[in-house]
Amino acid sequence: MKAMKFLAVFTVLVVLLTACGNAGSSAAAPEVCETDAFGCAVFEEGDVIKIGMGAPMTGGNASYGIDISQGATIAMIDAGNIEGWTFALDAQDDGGTAEGGAAVANKFVADPAIVAVAGHIFSGATAAAIPIYEKVGIPMLSPSATNPALTTTGSKVFNRIAFTDLNQGNNAADYLYNTLGIKKLAVLHDGSDYGKGLADIVAAQFVADGGEVVDEQAITPGETDYTAVLSTVASKSPDAVYFGGYTAEGAVLVNQMKTTGLENALFFGCDGTYGEDFLTRTGENGEGAYASIAPASPDSEAKATFNAAYLEKFGKEAGSLSPYTWAGYDSAAGLVVAIKEVAVVSGKKLYIPRGALVDAVRTLDNFVGLSGTFTCQDNGECCVDKPQFVIVKDGAWTTAD
Amino acid sequence: MNDPAPLPLVPKGDNNLNTDTAVMKKQKKGSKLLKLLRPALGVVVLLYILFRLYQVLIVQHEYGADTWTRLLISGLIIGGVYALIAIGYTLVYGILFMINFAHGEVMMFGAYAALYSFWGFKLINIPGKETNFLNAYPVIAIILAFLIGMTVSATLGYFLEKIAYRPLRKAPRLVPLISAIGASIFLQNAAQLLFSPQLRDVTNPDILRRGVGWTIVINGNDVILPYTGVFTFILSIILLITLFILVQKSKLGRAMRAVALDKKTAALMGVDVDNTISRTFIISGALAGAAGVMWGIHNGLVYYYVGFIPGIKAFTAAVLGGIGNIPGAMVGGLLLGIVESMGPAALGINFQLKDVLSFVILIIVLTFRPSGLLGEVLSEEKV
Amino acid sequence: MKNSIRQSIRTGVTFGIVHIFFILIAFNSMISVLIAKLSGIKNPGEIPAPKFYIAFTLLMGLWIGIAALNKKHSLSVGKKLLLSFTTSLTTGLMAGVLDVLLAIILVNKVFIRDFLTVLSFDFIKATLFGMTPVMGTIVTVLCFVAAGVAGGALTILNRTEAVQKFWKNIISWFKKQIEKIQYLSRGKYHLFWQIGGISLLALVAILLPMQWGSYWNYVFGTVGLYVILGLGLNIIVGLSGQLVLGYIAFFAIGAYTMALLNAPEPHNLMWGFWPALLLGVLLSALSGLLLGLPIMRLRGDYLAIVTLGFGEIIRILLKSDVLTNFTGGPRGIQNIKGPMFFGIPFNSEVDFVYLIFAGVILAGFVYNRLKQSRTGRAWLSIREDETVARATGVDTIKYKLLALAIGAAFAGLAGGIYASRNQFTGPDEHALMASINVLSLIIVGGMGNIPGTILGAFTLKGLPEILREFANFRLLAFGALLVFMMLSRPDGLIPSSRPKYDPPTEPAPEIDKKEATHGK
Repeated sequence: MKAMKFLAVFTVLVVLLTACGNAGSSAAAPEVCETDAFGCAVFEEGDVIKIGMGAPMTGGNASYGIDISQGATIAMIDAGNIEGWTFALDAQDDGGTAEGGAAVANKFVADPAIVAVAGHIFSGATAAAIPIYEKVGIPMLSPSATNPALTTTGSKVFNRIAFTDLNQGNNAADYLYNTLGIKKLAVLHDGSDYGKGLADIVAAQFVADGGEVVDEQAITPGETDYTAVLSTVASKSPDAVYFGGYTAEGAVLVNQMKTTGLENALFFGCDGTYGEDFLTRTGENGEGAYASIAPASPDSEAKATFNAAYLEKFGKEAGSLSPYTWAGYDSAAGLVVAIKEVAVVSGKKLYIPRGALVDAVRTLDNFVGLSGTFTCQDNGECCVDKPQFVIVKDGAWTTAD
Repeated sequence: MNDPAPLPLVPKGDNNLNTDTAVMKKQKKGSKLLKLLRPALGVVVLLYILFRLYQVLIVQHEYGADTWTRLLISGLIIGGVYALIAIGYTLVYGILFMINFAHGEVMMFGAYAALYSFWGFKLINIPGKETNFLNAYPVIAIILAFLIGMTVSATLGYFLEKIAYRPLRKAPRLVPLISAIGASIFLQNAAQLLFSPQLRDVTNPDILRRGVGWTIVINGNDVILPYTGVFTFILSIILLITLFILVQKSKLGRAMRAVALDKKTAALMGVDVDNTISRTFIISGALAGAAGVMWGIHNGLVYYYVGFIPGIKAFTAAVLGGIGNIPGAMVGGLLLGIVESMGPAALGINFQLKDVLSFVILIIVLTFRPSGLLGEVLSEEKV
Repeated sequence: MKNSIRQSIRTGVTFGIVHIFFILIAFNSMISVLIAKLSGIKNPGEIPAPKFYIAFTLLMGLWIGIAALNKKHSLSVGKKLLLSFTTSLTTGLMAGVLDVLLAIILVNKVFIRDFLTVLSFDFIKATLFGMTPVMGTIVTVLCFVAAGVAGGALTILNRTEAVQKFWKNIISWFKKQIEKIQYLSRGKYHLFWQIGGISLLALVAILLPMQWGSYWNYVFGTVGLYVILGLGLNIIVGLSGQLVLGYIAFFAIGAYTMALLNAPEPHNLMWGFWPALLLGVLLSALSGLLLGLPIMRLRGDYLAIVTLGFGEIIRILLKSDVLTNFTGGPRGIQNIKGPMFFGIPFNSEVDFVYLIFAGVILAGFVYNRLKQSRTGRAWLSIREDETVARATGVDTIKYKLLALAIGAAFAGLAGGIYASRNQFTGPDEHALMASINVLSLIIVGGMGNIPGTILGAFTLKGLPEILREFANFRLLAFGALLVFMMLSRPDGLIPSSRPKYDPPTEPAPEIDKKEATHGK
């Protein structure tokens, strides 16, 4: 069969490519490489310093992976170079699952040009990947893996700039009760690790503050008709609805709240419902909706520059594919700062001591990013400031009082 | 001439055939027990459901009439959407006994057609009037969008059949299934690569905005009957009746039923089997396209993954009603929609479990009526 | 001849559509990047130099030229070249029209990326080879035609006697080598060779995982797990003919049993790997039985949707709020402890590969024995025709339930090992696509036999890893590959031979001459 032959030859070619794809290097190295627990990554002239990223690039969640990797790609361009050595992003599809995460992690670990990983993106994939990176000394800086358990394992390599649910949830509940004066709250979430984590904490804190949680419901993500759930929630007459989840469902909820009896209830989202996409998809219905984000000005100059660059390169508004575009940039940019700190040029080669890099990422201090200012703690949590609350006014996100 | 000794009736060696009557009697008893077990389980589950219903409705009295009306409206509309998609599914299955896994993706392309049609219409400015084409002539715009969507999907259905299914007509049942799955994955990813993974909302003409409708006042609260929802429901009924008439009365319909019954005999009777099957897929594609356009208008959300889950739900609905049975698609769809909307509220369980409820109902229905609620109509059981 | 020309135009149109599709998904960029990397450029970026785009076009043309002569063997050289020319010209013209459209977009700076995302101005410029639109279009058409004719010429050359003989020689050389090996393994010292062969394989199996790095260990481990899954599903679908679409639910039960009994949260039970594995297998088998009860009466495709539903039910329940305290909810379960072998931790990646190998051998052994036993024959008879099977006295209910239970047990085994290896499991691991993957692998590989399942697992799980070079086109290629495999080999890569019944053709028995004279 001709076609089979063609296919077979092609496959063999690709396998050969993969096998021959990576060149190792070895030579006399500066002292720090001898003493470093994990050795050095060595780059010859013309080599590229690679930062890996494991993200879902296909399947139902592809918009997150693609968006975050695109944000990080711009960071690679902005990173410039270290005496001629440039940076590049290697984004691989991990499907958001543990199986994929481990596969990608193993692939990265086998590539000597990868010195750090901006990721992974989904908590499940991250959990499976951490032990693999731990063995080799590849530091991680995740923009979005929010499962609290990830920083309790004692890992030295895992760090994240994402909020913990505890931080975001508690502050949101306090804000709702104290500042907005909401007494009756309905809590919805999308059943995901992230959404449910937030919702549970908000509910608990709200009750602790003295409020009443009139209903707690979980929706099925990926659907377009939530009128049934909203109707039952409406029957309890809440003053506000808190939603833990992402824009995909949040926008639908906001649009359908008006027709199910919840016209007068406030919609309070989280950093997963923030972004350009939310505004586009809710239009007028979105007026007055809240969200919580990491403390950075929603419209700084650096952000405007980034938004323009993103639009030019990828043809889409930043934040239209997922709310984490800016966090994607920040995670890669943060790693670049750490790499620049520890990289050593000697002879005609560039050396990056891996152990030192792990420490450098762990000790990131006051790193000013697009989505916030980050200082990493001993356990790898880098986002410790309280969240900032924003509200939709006249079709744009502005800081709420 | 002497005849050779007769051949042994049963080959020598290990004899697997169990002709011992005592053993057969034991088997009969065993299977009788199992036969009882099934309905027994079903009755137990039903009793539990009834008990929960009693608790929630009579004892706790949680929801008022306004909420129940809202839930009913929700259910009928969701059911209408499922029915719309299920009609195309059930048509293909009834004729070819094939689960067209790619049906959801064909629908997705129809939805994209609606998205871009409306987007394009919005860009056309009408001189003399203040507004654009979309809002100046909304009815024409909607009809055009449907035509475009149905054409796109019908073409896609035709090529799908030609490339991925026709060469496999004589293969065992599982092979076209895998081919359909491969086609489904291909189409999803093609859409993602062509149109980006961005989730988009369809811009409706102003007169048919989402979320706007007739208002009924119950218990002092406004209950809204959305225009788009009613449109969906009516459209599904219209398509159902049209298809039913087509299959029962027209020449093509006769040919389809003949092919469903027995391909070889139909061919002997002068039916062009290839042609009929192609046309079946074209019609099914057009139906999927209509469902996709309606999805875009009513649900608004369009992206590359949007056909996958509704495709599976529609399949469930079709099975519920009796697969191959066209009115069954409607019944199954509506039942599924109502179970999803009103079920969790009526039973007092979390809405997250609505799919569990749907499948449990499916299992119960199939336990008592294994060929679906309305049974199979297009042909006899294929062994 | 006219017919052939018409056909070649049709082929050309088909290829034209394919080419346009490739451009619209930026496949030409990807191939150009690949070619650039092959030619030594280390960092070509997303849009490499125009010459690589020309290379892509030439490759397409070559392919078209070869395909145009598919099945056309009996025409003269001139006519064949004419056909290649026609086909590639047609495609070239269509490509040219696309180029013109793209040029219009470029010149008028139309922002069309909301509609078709890949069409950035840089991309359009590169597709036009960096030349002016007119030049770019002309060069495109010329490239197609030139490469097409070249492809045709290559095909003609390939079909000449000399070249055909060359291929035949190579193939016969390979065949001779295989025959030599087969002869050795059956000849006088066959026992020696067989034992030697198996020990060599065993040695490779033990040493290789220590050498080839953690990535391949992981990939081959995954392939092994899917082989076990494939064998289990083969029992249910391949041998007993029940189409089960929710198979991954049993995998989930095995994985969660291991996880819940071996992790600090949520229950902190720490029973150890082996008891948990055993329990997982038993629980899976039990759930296979329980699933079987309501579905006994259901026919083929109804079965499919109900089992699909069952798979979904398990996943949703594992994720739900209601059961979060028991199952860990959407968070999943972390820090699952690895196996211990008589007190020594056995959880390095190499150890897991050994474990999975052992599991595969166990599964394969059980499968083989079952298939050749009375149970296996009963299953086959049920698959062929259930009504007749029952009429011949086969207790269909018992055997169908048995198939479900054993198949589920296999999945439970795989699930337990999987959870332990990943040290994490969650509800989203066990979604519908995973069930579909297992079904695909046994059908692509060849239903009902062990080598087919192994090959299928390699193809469907190993191939996407190898395809990582294709990045975003991975799943697209995967879908196309599935369809392609079904079209070209619907029986699977290694088809099963159906057991045949040949009536014995004994020679007529010796007739006693004396007896013969009686009778008449």
